[in-house]
Amino acid sequence: MDLEFLQVIIPMLFRGLKVTMEVAVVGILLGFVLGAITGYALQSSSRIAKVIANVYIWIIRGTPLVVQALYVYFVVPAIITKIKGETFILDSTLAGIIVITLNAGAFISALVKGALEGVDAGQKEAGSSLGLTKAQIMTHIVIPPAFKSMIPGLFNQFIISLKDTALLSMISVNEITRQTQNYATRTLNTIPAYTVCALFYLVLLSVLMILQKVVEVKINK
Amino acid sequence: MSEPLIKVSHLMKSFGDLEVLRDINVDIHEGEVVCIIGPSGSGKSTFLRCINQLEVPTGGEIYYKGENLCDKKADIRRFREEVGMVFQKFNLFPLRTVLGNVTLAPVLTKHKNKKEAEAYAMELLGKVGLESKASAKPSMLSGGQQQRVAIARALAMDPTALLFDEPTSALDPELVGEVLNVMRSLADDGMTMVVVTHEMAFARDVADRVIFMADGYVVEEGTPEEVFGNPREERTRTFLSRFLAS
Repeated sequence: MDLEFLQVIIPMLFRGLKVTMEVAVVGILLGFVLGAITGYALQSSSRIAKVIANVYIWIIRGTPLVVQALYVYFVVPAIITKIKGETFILDSTLAGIIVITLNAGAFISALVKGALEGVDAGQKEAGSSLGLTKAQIMTHIVIPPAFKSMIPGLFNQFIISLKDTALLSMISVNEITRQTQNYATRTLNTIPAYTVCALFYLVLLSVLMILQKVVEVKINK
Repeated sequence: MSEPLIKVSHLMKSFGDLEVLRDINVDIHEGEVVCIIGPSGSGKSTFLRCINQLEVPTGGEIYYKGENLCDKKADIRRFREEVGMVFQKFNLFPLRTVLGNVTLAPVLTKHKNKKEAEAYAMELLGKVGLESKASAKPSMLSGGQQQRVAIARALAMDPTALLFDEPTSALDPELVGEVLNVMRSLADDGMTMVVVTHEMAFARDVADRVIFMADGYVVEEGTPEEVFGNPREERTRTFLSRFLAS
């Protein structure tokens, strides 16, 4: 078998990897911020905050990621163009980051809510009984154990989000899958192209899964 | 007699239809050790939790140094800085070391610097016999040790009084003694203490005053000699006979 094609496709996959990682990492970080706010809102006593949070989660859970991507990439700029009266184009990678952020945020919000509610009420009472303010109890007593309990779930969401980035090939984000498609359509070398692509993902995700195990062992110590 | 440190007047607390406290009137004077005894469900713990507003009373007043804590404008946070609480389940902060548990509140509330707070914490840990455990995590300690840390944590705020909510009820029998000994030495030092307890021997030996509660009322109160030696009320006699027989 002629393996020369690897010299072409492997550099392309690494260029794709850079974009995949960029979208996944920025997406999970912003998604964590969004999820933390939403999760806090879910377990707060404010009705309005809860309704807003639930509508957001409902929309994200109730629509496919690809449709969200198409919407953010094509529809939102089209609407802005109409309103502003001048052409507005959204960079595809930026659109991808927005979609991954919105998605990760919705799922992380459930993690955050559970983690905040999972902190023993007795510890909050101990904080109150020592004269701490509500904000001090939140930052010094509730958040540290809540965050720790969320780490496995966050890692899981990162792996899911990373795999979700493959769907962004639909809106021409130049990540791993898109790069493979480009190669495959240009060379018609379909079988090796997608086989190498699958193996590339498998190695990448295996590394992350091993890392996940290491982190879990470490925090459970 | 001088003005009481804490004065509870016509205190009431209901959870929905359930009336847990019906009409509680108790004065706590400075330097006094008051033990509250009574059957489970009598409202002892709820009463104690109402004092520092972990439960918000449904009616009545609680005065601390003359200030009504049930008033909406009362600074309950400052009261809590001055009156500490020790819980049945210790409620230590699990991710912090023993030292971190003891220093957290003084650093956050009193703006004590960390060094000062740590030096004082070590002194207090010495007092409860746990200097050597300063860098341990709570999960590595026995229940009795955890409760002693919880006492040191409350003491770190230099409280004028301490509330104890069944501090030995969650402990294995062989660990009860070490906690009671610490409490005894606090009493000897003149700390004002309100103790909800089932340890009758402790109440008899250490308390200045014993309060017997049942069904949300104070049924009887007096010196340990009066309440244990010569109870006036039938309910007190029935309760104590069950305890002293065992």
